[in-house]
Amino acid sequence: MNVGPILRSMRHNRTRVVLVVLEIAITLAIVTNCVNVILAERAKMSVESGFDDDNIVRVLERPFTAEFRDEKFLATIIASDLRTIAAVPGVRAVANTSVQLWEGGGSSTGVKPAGVIKEPVGTQTYHGTKGLMDALGVKIIQGRGFQESDYGRPGESRPAQVTVISKELADDLFPGGDAVGKTIQHAANSNETMGDALTIVGVMERFFNPWGIGAGNGDLLGPRAMLEPSGVGSYERGIPFLIRTEPGAMASVVAEVENRLAAANPGRVFEVQATNDKKGSHFASSKIAVTTMSCIIVTLVGVTALGLLGLTSLSVAERTKQIGVRRALGATRGDIVRHFLLENWIVTTAGLALGILSAYGLNFLLVSHVSDVKLTWPLVVAGMALLWVNGLIATLPAALRASLVPPSSATRTV
Amino acid sequence: MFRYHLETALKSLKRNPILTALLVGGIALGICVSTAFTTLRHMYERDPLPGKTGRVFYVRLDSWGKDRAFKREDPSSIPDQLTYKDAQNLLKCPIPRRQTPSFITAKFIHPDPKVARPYQPNVRLVLRDFFDIFEVPFQYGGPWSKEADDKPEQVMVIDDATNRKLFGGEDSVGRTVRMEDRDYRVVGVLAPWRPPLRMVELGRNAEGPPEPIYIPFNHTVPQEIWLTGNNSGWKPVPINTFAEWIASERVWIQYWVELPDAASAGAYGDWLRSYIEDQKKLGRFERPVKYALTTIPGLIEEFHLMPEGVKAMSVVSLLFLAVSSLNLVGILLGKFLARIPEVSVRRALGASRAQIFWQHVIEVELVGIAGGVVGILLSTAILRLLGRFMANGDALRLDSEMLLVAFFLSVVAGLIAGVYPAWRVCSVPPAMQLKVQ
Repeated sequence: MNVGPILRSMRHNRTRVVLVVLEIAITLAIVTNCVNVILAERAKMSVESGFDDDNIVRVLERPFTAEFRDEKFLATIIASDLRTIAAVPGVRAVANTSVQLWEGGGSSTGVKPAGVIKEPVGTQTYHGTKGLMDALGVKIIQGRGFQESDYGRPGESRPAQVTVISKELADDLFPGGDAVGKTIQHAANSNETMGDALTIVGVMERFFNPWGIGAGNGDLLGPRAMLEPSGVGSYERGIPFLIRTEPGAMASVVAEVENRLAAANPGRVFEVQATNDKKGSHFASSKIAVTTMSCIIVTLVGVTALGLLGLTSLSVAERTKQIGVRRALGATRGDIVRHFLLENWIVTTAGLALGILSAYGLNFLLVSHVSDVKLTWPLVVAGMALLWVNGLIATLPAALRASLVPPSSATRTV
Repeated sequence: MFRYHLETALKSLKRNPILTALLVGGIALGICVSTAFTTLRHMYERDPLPGKTGRVFYVRLDSWGKDRAFKREDPSSIPDQLTYKDAQNLLKCPIPRRQTPSFITAKFIHPDPKVARPYQPNVRLVLRDFFDIFEVPFQYGGPWSKEADDKPEQVMVIDDATNRKLFGGEDSVGRTVRMEDRDYRVVGVLAPWRPPLRMVELGRNAEGPPEPIYIPFNHTVPQEIWLTGNNSGWKPVPINTFAEWIASERVWIQYWVELPDAASAGAYGDWLRSYIEDQKKLGRFERPVKYALTTIPGLIEEFHLMPEGVKAMSVVSLLFLAVSSLNLVGILLGKFLARIPEVSVRRALGASRAQIFWQHVIEVELVGIAGGVVGILLSTAILRLLGRFMANGDALRLDSEMLLVAFFLSVVAGLIAGVYPAWRVCSVPPAMQLKVQ
């Protein structure tokens, strides 16, 4: 088909061409960048914690009677509470632990291999009782989890200190692999250490707990963790438990746990936090971004299609006479449809060309605010394909209407 | 003339209600999206204490050990809070008009057993200046006195929710609240108060609600009140007793000053510098002299408190408005050009180009403003929906500033859509169309 007449006719309709080009360009810029943000946020949300998030609930006891200020009493009641909770039907595992999942914070420290002068590696650090690995649902890939002998008994001499660390931390501390059996130490700097050396007895496959405010050092600390065997609790900070339930049993378990604990000692209240709720609020802003960006894309593509529909209808209406003349001079219906589709395709393509520039321009503007969301070219190509199809579909009704103009109309009013 | 234009415009809009609805809807769609996301961004970017711009500062000192900076990986970082010692010493500075150290703890409240079970809310320790610095609104009573700070007296300020829980919402000034094993006298009840960010402590859960209970800071030592917030340290020394804790180099106090005027920031900075140098002589402050005076907007930026994507969404939403107005250009062009015969008759009868132009611009602006009104109503719905997913969603509201912005945007959207079609229609030569009729 001859493109010349189409281009010449476009010169007489410059406004329409400019409008469509602008609209397509901005639409491409917005759509590609929105999809980009959506993909990045979804990647962030799909991060695996390594835990059985769906079935873990945190119960924090808040004591308010004076007996809880006594260390010995605390140790006894933690042990008996653990037994009470474990006996509740539907409980798979329970631990008294300082681990708080999807909290965005916790405790952190620096550690380094014992006896080596080296800058310490930053890591999260938590304590917990024997059931901790089961309560988290983490997999131990080397060595073992905690066992009875890791915890000293009152009156006996304290056993050698041990720790279980995450694979990321193990790889950072001992790049050669095989961290089990090595010893590490808490350290303030390369030569000042704190406390005894800890022997690594196990390595966890995956541990992820987001850390830090905003763009702090979250990416660094998130997957690094060390766990030490001990109970956790104080009058001021309360006594925290993580309970892992059978699937679907969380609500009934929590109610029963509260009943039985309150019956055992009424001097406390309980705060309950399901892990998935915490995770949900951690990702709230990501979810908002994904939802709104999706809505914007759908509405925008729809609005652009409507705009194109309007413009092509207008241009068909304006050119009814010319169409009649062309038909009278021998153009087939198919020629007319092709004319309008091709015209639209040329304009759309021009818009997309400008759109690529504006897409990268907008991306440049946004990347300085939104971290690591660089626009990739397959996304741009996909966006272009979408808008090409969108443009053709939007033009088709008007083009078909144009093809129905009878050749005889050429003779009527001119 | 304006009235005549207005009447003509209204008549023209009524002639084709479906088209008018389409135009209004198009603008409304763009306005509701752009207003909602501009408001979301505004929530984080506006000055929370207008009238005190450049006078309220968060104070930080580099009290860290010589081996490394506060953040291992960032040598320019500065500790996020102060030691107790430094907070006490800073209080002696006469330059600030108001100042307060602050931290949070958690304490058990024992309500009348008939009213509620014991519960453990967060309690913030502050000096009375806190309430004035952050312009905290009261419904009953007010801040405690200077004497209550100094003594310290067992006085308490509670928020609206606590007052409703403990006292059924009545004026409880003068009543007592049992906290742990002591009685506190209520001196003030806050009005409902939910700033988007908890200004006093932005380093931790900044989007959370303000604490429900406040007591004088000077209870810290005599009552041995431990904090439940964040603390950090660098000196490897064991801390077992409260005395060791207070005397330690650990940082856990937030410190705010309100200076009398913007000019005194320099003098206050000099004072801090000489304070650090004095402390160096005592063997503290091992690193080079460094302090930071940061405003609330400065901290919001430094701590990245605006969620990622909010800025992106606000830019995208404005572009969205641009597209939806551009879309209307085509429709308006069709509408106006169909009116050429009528216009050329009017031109032939003596209407000037300018009059035709303005008549059409007014018509489009009517559409723009109507779309703006509908859009603003829709955006309040969107904001309410968004707010439900955000911790600080209750603070997400259209304020008067944002209403103005929305109005301005709808006028601009009308102009984008209408100026070109109006110009096209007014450049029709008079009587040209008369020939064919």
